[in-house]
Amino acid sequence: MVSRSLKSLAQSDSRFALRIVASLVLFNAVIFILPLIYAAWISFHDRDVILRTQEFIGFNHYRQILTSSEAIAAMLLSLKFTAVVACASLPLGLGIALVLNEDFPGRRFLRAAILLPWAISEVVTATAWIFINNPTFGALTGVMHSLGLVKANHAWVNETTALYWVAIAFVWHITPLGAFFFLAALQTVPDSLYQAARIDRASAFKRFIHVTLPHLRPTVTVVLVAVTVEAFRSFDLLFAMTRGGPGTASQTFPMLIFRYTFEFSRYGLAAAASYILVAVGMIITTLYFFALMRRQRLARIADAAAGEEARSRMPTPGEAMLS
Amino acid sequence: MRKTAGEYAVLWVSIALVIAWTFIPILALVWASLMPFNALVNGGLLQWPSGMGFANYEAIMGIATINDVFGGQPEAVASGFLNSAIVAIPVAVIGTAMAIIGGYGFGRYRFPFKNTLLFALLSVRLLPPIAVLIPYFVILSALHLVGTYLGLIVTYLTAVVPLLTWVLMGYFASLPIEIERAARIDGCGRLRALWHITIPMALPGIAAAFVIAFLTAWNELLFAVVLTGGTAKQTLSPALLAFSPTMPSGGANFGMTLFAAGSVLSTIPPLILALLVQRYITRLNVADPMTLEGN
Repeated sequence: MVSRSLKSLAQSDSRFALRIVASLVLFNAVIFILPLIYAAWISFHDRDVILRTQEFIGFNHYRQILTSSEAIAAMLLSLKFTAVVACASLPLGLGIALVLNEDFPGRRFLRAAILLPWAISEVVTATAWIFINNPTFGALTGVMHSLGLVKANHAWVNETTALYWVAIAFVWHITPLGAFFFLAALQTVPDSLYQAARIDRASAFKRFIHVTLPHLRPTVTVVLVAVTVEAFRSFDLLFAMTRGGPGTASQTFPMLIFRYTFEFSRYGLAAAASYILVAVGMIITTLYFFALMRRQRLARIADAAAGEEARSRMPTPGEAMLS
Repeated sequence: MRKTAGEYAVLWVSIALVIAWTFIPILALVWASLMPFNALVNGGLLQWPSGMGFANYEAIMGIATINDVFGGQPEAVASGFLNSAIVAIPVAVIGTAMAIIGGYGFGRYRFPFKNTLLFALLSVRLLPPIAVLIPYFVILSALHLVGTYLGLIVTYLTAVVPLLTWVLMGYFASLPIEIERAARIDGCGRLRALWHITIPMALPGIAAAFVIAFLTAWNELLFAVVLTGGTAKQTLSPALLAFSPTMPSGGANFGMTLFAAGSVLSTIPPLILALLVQRYITRLNVADPMTLEGN
């Protein structure tokens, strides 16, 4: 069926695509990778703001950060924040998607409305949650005080809880995204599978475990990676809600970099810290990919052994591409 | 499939929980924005005081003054709306245009180094924005672009183009190629085929990409604070943040009701856009990173 003119078209199309895509990547490289290289240069120099001198000091800034208890504490807080957000957001997003996938009056409206927290900025998310947890006028104080459970002016956001409050607000903001991915995937589960499970008298829980969950596995990967990346690099919400406080109780690594830069004007130190943040972020993503890819491969082997058909998955770009 | 009574109960309890989780913080915010400041501080949020109304909204938009404590801050919020629009609209237009080109190239064609180039583009998205904060700040200072719209627009473009390219790549790949191919065989040029055939088919995805870009630029805080904070070009997020009780300038809880009113207003433009395209967002065919290797 493929005519000769079509073949030559495809060849010149391939060159054309390479050209446009390469120019796009090049543009991004220029305005992103060049600053990164410059940041590396900054991180290797000690800059004196008053004397306006630069001195090459090698890896001194990196050594300084890796031996600073403040920086290590900040990194641990970042990892804790990311873990809490990922662990809470994934089941919550799946739960919301399962509810929205059911048939009930007002479903269309609710599907649109749960996007609200995602469309709201992180600054406004922080404002909204301040009206929940403020010790003086917050709704939580109001409810708990009238029930006689706490005294007035109860400090909900304190040294122990500050990070969790930011995590809760972040989960509220980011979960609709995961819920929407899950909902899109749920809509592709063939109904016949559920009917078969019904005929086999499988309980709702068993239907979920054996029919829904295997179908969602690729989406779980996508959502997990997306939420982890967003949580690990997040700054806005934290800055608007606690500014790393009280004290340094919620000072994550990005917050520490911001303070190095604008409170202490330690540009070199901040640039070195940025590179450490990037490195740790890359390690996390790489670990994810390895772990999840191994699990997928194992699952595929198990499927093959059971003589089942390959699990259905989301259509890939490759499937629809010009061949 | 009929549900049992027990299943119905579980379903409706779950729906109630989803509604409560989603709307309680928003209701708290809206309620506070309608309250007189003194009533909020003295009686808390859970009451229906006299004097509920739109006084905070009038004050934040500079229509009326209710408190001298804040000096120029309400005006900053009003001009923040304008500044945010001046930044967010070009970011959405240019960013979407660039992502159409990139998404079309990646989604429709095979070519050498495809995975390498895609990874190079996506790795930009995976990096924390704060990693380039210092070099951006230093370079933009040297170019005298701190405190300008242009500096902020360029910064946001680097953030949105990789993400939108990824989103549109999946969308273009999911469209049938036959019509475009037929047009090409009939002698239609590549760019004409893209403009007259492929882009019209991809409009829902393009609309969603536009909204994502607009939301990113409208909502962003970190670079807005660093590049425009305190200047005449200050966007909405830093202008609002000046009222926050966590800011050194925000004082204790002064201005919390104004803060609430400004926050509610700032949400309206993105909200309208998000509602307009919400049914397209579900249909976005975001590529599965696990399967990207196979292409």
